[in-house]
Amino acid sequence: MRFTMISRLRPIHSRSTGAFALVSGLACSLAWADPRADYEKEILPILEERCFDCHGDGAKKGSVSFDTFDSTEALLAKSDLWVHVLKNIRSGTMPPPKEPRLTAGEISKLQDWIKRGALKLDPSNPDPGRVTLRRLNRVEYRNTIEDLMGIDFRTDEEFPADDTGYGFDTIGDVLSVSPLLLEKYMQAAEAIVAKAVPLQSQVIREKRIGADAFRGQGSNGNNWETRVSLYDPADLSGKVTIKQAGTYRLILNGSVNGSFAYDPGQAKATWTVDGKQVFQEDLAWRDYRKVDPSIEVKWAPGEYPLRLTLQPLLGKDKKPEEKPGDGPPNVEFRFAGYTLQGPLEPGFATHPPNYDRFFTRDQVPTEPAEKQAYTKEILRRFATRAFRRPVDERTVDRLATLAAESMNLPGGTFEKGIARAMSAVLASPRFLFRMEDTLPETDPGKHPLLDEYALASRLSYFLWSTMPDRTLLELAERGELRKNLHAQVQRMLDDKRSDDLVSNFAGQWLQTRDVESVSIDARIVQARDAGQESEMRKRFERRQQLNQQIDEAEKAHDEARATALRNELAEMRRQFGVRRIEFSGELRTAMRREAELWFKHLLRDDKSVLDLIEADETFLNETLAEHYGIPGVRGGEMRLVKLPPDSLRGGILTMGTVLAVTSNSTRTSPVKRGLFILDNLLGTPPPPPPPNIPSLEVSSKGHDGRDLSLRDALALHREKPMCASCHDRMDPLGLAFENFNAMGLWRDKEAGMPIPSVAGKLITGESFNDVRELKHLLVTSRREDYYRCLTEKLMTYAIGRGPQPCDIQTVDEIVGRLEQSGGKFSVLLLGIIDSPAFQKRHRETP
Amino acid sequence: MNLTSTNRRRFIRGLGACLALPALESFLPRSLAAQTAGARAIATTSSGAPLRMAFLYFPNGAIQDKWTPTGSGREFAFGQTLAPLEALKQRVQVISGLDHRNAEAGPDGAGDHARANGTFLTGVRVKKTAGSDIFAGVSVDQIAAQHIGQTTRFASLELSCDPHRKSGGCDSGYSCAYESNLAWRSPTSPLSPESNPRLVFERLFGSGAPGQRAASLAQRREQQRSILDFVIDDAKSVQKELTHRDKDKLEEYLTGVREIEQRIVTAERLSKFPDPKMATPDGIPSAYDDYIRLMFQMMALAFETDSTRVASLLLAHDGSNRVFPEIGISEGHHSLSHHRDDPDMIRKVEQIDRFYVSQLAEFLALLDSKKDADGQSILHNSMIVYGCGNSDGNRHTHTNLPVVLAGNGGGRLNAGQYLKASDAPMCNLYLSMLDQMGVPSLDRFGDSTGRLSGI
Repeated sequence: MRFTMISRLRPIHSRSTGAFALVSGLACSLAWADPRADYEKEILPILEERCFDCHGDGAKKGSVSFDTFDSTEALLAKSDLWVHVLKNIRSGTMPPPKEPRLTAGEISKLQDWIKRGALKLDPSNPDPGRVTLRRLNRVEYRNTIEDLMGIDFRTDEEFPADDTGYGFDTIGDVLSVSPLLLEKYMQAAEAIVAKAVPLQSQVIREKRIGADAFRGQGSNGNNWETRVSLYDPADLSGKVTIKQAGTYRLILNGSVNGSFAYDPGQAKATWTVDGKQVFQEDLAWRDYRKVDPSIEVKWAPGEYPLRLTLQPLLGKDKKPEEKPGDGPPNVEFRFAGYTLQGPLEPGFATHPPNYDRFFTRDQVPTEPAEKQAYTKEILRRFATRAFRRPVDERTVDRLATLAAESMNLPGGTFEKGIARAMSAVLASPRFLFRMEDTLPETDPGKHPLLDEYALASRLSYFLWSTMPDRTLLELAERGELRKNLHAQVQRMLDDKRSDDLVSNFAGQWLQTRDVESVSIDARIVQARDAGQESEMRKRFERRQQLNQQIDEAEKAHDEARATALRNELAEMRRQFGVRRIEFSGELRTAMRREAELWFKHLLRDDKSVLDLIEADETFLNETLAEHYGIPGVRGGEMRLVKLPPDSLRGGILTMGTVLAVTSNSTRTSPVKRGLFILDNLLGTPPPPPPPNIPSLEVSSKGHDGRDLSLRDALALHREKPMCASCHDRMDPLGLAFENFNAMGLWRDKEAGMPIPSVAGKLITGESFNDVRELKHLLVTSRREDYYRCLTEKLMTYAIGRGPQPCDIQTVDEIVGRLEQSGGKFSVLLLGIIDSPAFQKRHRETP
Repeated sequence: MNLTSTNRRRFIRGLGACLALPALESFLPRSLAAQTAGARAIATTSSGAPLRMAFLYFPNGAIQDKWTPTGSGREFAFGQTLAPLEALKQRVQVISGLDHRNAEAGPDGAGDHARANGTFLTGVRVKKTAGSDIFAGVSVDQIAAQHIGQTTRFASLELSCDPHRKSGGCDSGYSCAYESNLAWRSPTSPLSPESNPRLVFERLFGSGAPGQRAASLAQRREQQRSILDFVIDDAKSVQKELTHRDKDKLEEYLTGVREIEQRIVTAERLSKFPDPKMATPDGIPSAYDDYIRLMFQMMALAFETDSTRVASLLLAHDGSNRVFPEIGISEGHHSLSHHRDDPDMIRKVEQIDRFYVSQLAEFLALLDSKKDADGQSILHNSMIVYGCGNSDGNRHTHTNLPVVLAGNGGGRLNAGQYLKASDAPMCNLYLSMLDQMGVPSLDRFGDSTGRLSGI
């Protein structure tokens, strides 16, 4: 479907055309029975002919040579070398562009031998790779607490930031537990339980009715609270509805607030309940004084009138003038409706909120043995949920003992005891870490499958960033999760909680988490485009200077000088300071949302992952559409918009968020943008720059000392052979985006000069004329690189460790299936979920 | 910048002054420890007052010719960058010629910022890895803390004014752990710093209003004590079933629990807890200089109340690309530091260097205004290293690092001089400081070749 649509729109650029040779590693055509003999017979001749000019016969470019090992065995044992070779021949990075390309047959032969012969990957008993025990990161902890305890605990404020590895914060090895963090865990356990677990079993029923249920003079429509100035009259009427006969307590929710103590405003307030005056008082300025008179009444079922009036006691002429700089003075009555408690008679009491989440019975038994049984019942249930797997009886006993100790303290209650034991559960390593057990595997040479509870947790933390829900745990308990895996994945993706996969995976992969905080100076960026950067800087410095001089003049009590300087400053502002250019929070949020919503859209509707790069629609609201120059989008809500046929937007690369996070604070960075593509889409990052060589991009002086444009500066840079090998790969990609400034805004000029053609060439030889053609190359001729890169990234995130050689087989299989399905999202997700790395646990061979 | 914001800034400055630290002399050790003959008392000055050490890190090196003083020994003059320290000249020494050779590229290639940061207090060559097996060394502050930690309520305090983490990778294939932490408890366990002033304060003194804090701390201790047995037992039973790195993870957990246990024991020995008569800070101030000022106040409070004698503060991680609207600089610090001799960029880096030194000067002045148990100032009884693991941010060099050693070490240090070491490892300075702290004589630390004489 998708393909036909694209070919209809852009007939010459169909993704399915173009010479794409599927070099699948699936077919095991040759049996590599004797890696050494095979190497000498099949592989060495290819290397000698194609590679030895630089990597053999004494040549050792990039410190790589194939013929300086003591023995063939020693060469074959260099697995990191072979992983490297595999990567480079697949991505077309090697042999370098000037040299003849490898034939498809050669590539296939090399790939096959490297996997089976050198790396000894065994398809019949694939190694899942070793994963280090993972603790919950900040996001997972917060979500888990919300699901388990029903409250929001702000881990982003309370816990230190998590370290990341391989670009993600889900990596077991780097998620360390420092003593500080442990201290925080202990405190959090206490604070969370104190907030979430009710300490009483019975409370009086209570409901709150807001000011929006009142009508009349001073009403604020449908707002919960209405604010009436003490200089204005008010007359608000409402009612209370009683369904159950009994005694009720009715409490007014009001307060007096004002900005300045000298404000003399006063009003007489009268509160009448069912015709009876409950309260009358002259109110005047008192900061945040509560006004909450209450009354107890016996009521039969029915409706009873309520009325609040305010009568100003001073005329508006007494209202103080606004003092410059202080804002308008005000003194007001804030009315937020009332609270109704009751019936107060015993027998009508109810459980407090959240009670049923933790406590299973209506009443606490009084008989000691039964009480103890109930204690265990509650704690067994809670610990099982919190540990995401059944808890052993010994632990339940210990928790019950802990609870009993606390119950027996002076002032102790049953609920307090339970709460104490619950805080111990939340501080336990079994809550904080994701403990995984395996199914029995009798063959000691095989890697065992994870048990169903571990699988449930892997699924839920991968797709939801939180603990498994009841359904998953019940399936695990019955041992039926694996059988129903795909149906469960579908259910989980349909659930709103899968938004977390988007914000956490895409948020880190595409760095959309950063767009709201990246520092970009909108004024300089715009002035630079217009070629007025230096004038603007001069003005800016003059202003700074003026401010300083004004301060000095004031200090020296030189009024005349201060006034003159102030006038100069005011004049400057009048001339240049009118238009305020901002890269606003609203716009940044819209950018983040655009990328997240697009990712989510493709995920939920099981579209192609290729659409992440090339698309003819996107999510916009008015702010963002204006920024992109796309007409006809009104209002703040983000919605799916079909892009105009000639639009360069669509796909993540020309989204504001990616363009901004790959920029410097005052200008674009073609190097960063190019690197972003190599790193995150093609999976072929260049090696880091050599040590002690600063990023030369900032150099902007030519041979003759004149200022150069960024493009020319980069070109100069590439003249040096040492820089060229990597910058030839990064720069053309990044320069293709030069028509988008650091805020992602379209521009035709940089530093006042028209931007020349952005045409360029990939290292693998394909050329493009503009950013649209570049996107198209990424989803056609470089498609396999992209599939592989995305698969590796998502796998790293899901499994919690960096890519290892043992993953090559899995990744190749997923890439093959993505090819067949046109890049369906579900193929990618299920491929990872079904993989040995996700399903099994590494066992050391004895 | 316009007038209104100038006014706002002045207002906040005033507020800073109001927040000046409350007098807390009563919480210092009442009877000064008598110095034991022969052996040097632990973390104690010769007059028996507490001796503190702190390490303050600023990022991306410094412009050398503006940093370096002229003259030598006692006859020296500060350059432009260190000029804010003029009023404290007799309290500080500038040391040149100190190196961190282990931060140089060597066989590891790019990643000078990660190495500068990771090597700074550890003195070792940190392992180049993106995550699977981070490895550095025990940092100098932690060696001190492990020896003297039991003296105070907190063995050490790790702070940072750099709370944000970027998505994606860190410097050239190095794990972010190397640049977000200064202190390392073991080669594999960095100590994450606290970056929220409110949380630092509550950790030190308890939560709530003045007067209620001791009770909140006591309640917390009671709660923690009651569940400690359970969680220790739980961790041990779980640990038994684990192997390799997983076992180490549980060990990290147990280490933390034991530390809490130890802290409860220490706290029970004290009859009275310090409770500053100031409101709890709100959180992270939006202006960077206010943020640094508040964090320094927290460190000063910790020293003044003798809550700890060892502290470190990461002002910003090496490689930080922070912009400085406070002083009108909208380019990132890191981008500017690669100035390629562009005079305009150099001038801006100089301004940033001086900005950081001004914050330092304010902090030192605050410490100098506070009286210690022996009548000297807290600054007099401290040893505070202010420095960076990069010397020339443009070329990424790690020799002749910019280093200031502030405080008189209780009278044992030759403050008030410009000391020119030549090609001495930074670790020689650390080793000398550890001697001063009374850490039983170590043969070596990091890549030390001996003690640094003359400080």
